[in-house]
Amino acid sequence: MMPMALTTFRVFLLLASIPEAGKHVARLVKGAIDWWSGKKIAVIGPTASGKDSFLARLRNQEIPRVHSNSTIGEKVKSFPVKLALSSRQVVDITCKGVVNIGGETDYRDTPSGWFAVCKDADVVFYMMTVEDLAKKRFLGRRRVGEDLAWLQTAMPHLKPDALVHILINKVDVEIESHTDYQALADEMAQELSALDTTVRSLLHPYEGRYTGATLISMKNKQIYTAAINLVFRAVYSAFHATAGRRRKAG
Amino acid sequence: MQAWWILPNREQRDDVLASDGEAVFPLRNVLDPGLRPEGFSHGVPTELIERCGEQAIPEILFAQRFPWEGGRQLFSVTAVAGVDTSGRSVHLGLVFILEPWEYPRFNVPWGGLPAEDQAYAKRLLHRMNLPAPGDSWARSVRELAGLKVHGPVTNVALERAAVRFDSLYEAGPAGLVKKSIFSRRQGTVAIVLLILFGAAAVSLYERGCGRTLRVAAGNGVVTWHLS
Repeated sequence: MMPMALTTFRVFLLLASIPEAGKHVARLVKGAIDWWSGKKIAVIGPTASGKDSFLARLRNQEIPRVHSNSTIGEKVKSFPVKLALSSRQVVDITCKGVVNIGGETDYRDTPSGWFAVCKDADVVFYMMTVEDLAKKRFLGRRRVGEDLAWLQTAMPHLKPDALVHILINKVDVEIESHTDYQALADEMAQELSALDTTVRSLLHPYEGRYTGATLISMKNKQIYTAAINLVFRAVYSAFHATAGRRRKAG
Repeated sequence: MQAWWILPNREQRDDVLASDGEAVFPLRNVLDPGLRPEGFSHGVPTELIERCGEQAIPEILFAQRFPWEGGRQLFSVTAVAGVDTSGRSVHLGLVFILEPWEYPRFNVPWGGLPAEDQAYAKRLLHRMNLPAPGDSWARSVRELAGLKVHGPVTNVALERAAVRFDSLYEAGPAGLVKKSIFSRRQGTVAIVLLILFGAAAVSLYERGCGRTLRVAAGNGVVTWHLS
């Protein structure tokens, strides 16, 4: 074993003599830690539903001024998400391996498209808009309905514990165009309930992995903060319930 | 040679539209999404727009070349072509399916394209056929158009693409810089060096062990019956 130990020691000395070696080693160590503490998320959904903006918000960044229709799967650098939820729970995860991808059905159906983005994800966020909800695009062979049917066929090939959460973006537009908020709330509650029923039936037998649908706004920071709290609480509870079940089964 | 325009998604439709210069139809009718090569881009990647800056947007051209089924090659070139209804950049492209002996010819008709896309189509063809002396983007695309490739290649390097590409140039604030053969191949070179280094280490280690055993046998410490 001695020559091996000596070689290792020599390699260590060689590394130490390289300028900025400390930085490289630190990056390696950080990479290893990230690997252990990271969670992979996937964000999919129709064109212009707000996927890029959601990634920007999660990274605590403003929505980019120069904005482009996503044309190719692009990797997003790992980033931390730290959130103190109102229920005293703390979300402290590293989102890693996130790939940003377009929303056209062409991206959904290409080999390096949505499936490649979702296959190793711990949480799949499906992003739609309030307009999709109001126009009931989740019913039948309409866009959201088709996407959910696609998700159902993809589920057996995703991680066994992968969760699905639906984000309904652009709720700020709806609020701004209404004055009777109670009526709006009632109307939306009905639409949400219809969506919920449809999703559960479309995702069957994987409906247990669906953690709900949340109204959100990427544009309005206040609404975003309140909504993301609900989103992570739902996802967090589902994660811990799954982990608990696994422990019991073990 | 088959060629189609990939049209900008100005209305935020659910599918990508294409045209043969006369009629408009979904791109999936002529190029099945399931058959599109991994990493095929329908426009200029966001990272290039971010890296080169807003003022460079009209100049950026992004091209890809892939080996395709039956010995054919798939070549595409795209440019930013205005914005969609929410102000996001959208893209106009040309995609070619080339027989093994063919090179792309930039004489695709554009008269049947939507009115708002025609000026962008005309400019793209003009840049490809008669590039201005300082148009390094057009030059890089023409260079790629003249190559036969064995793996996916882009005119300009991408750092964030989920798929790995070989590339001819690197883009930065100062424009395009030709990549040296070494830098183009450095990933492969690094792997080869690593394997060689590993093999040398194993061989040295084994020789070291062999010597130790021989010495031990010579001293009679190890009783080893050789028949």
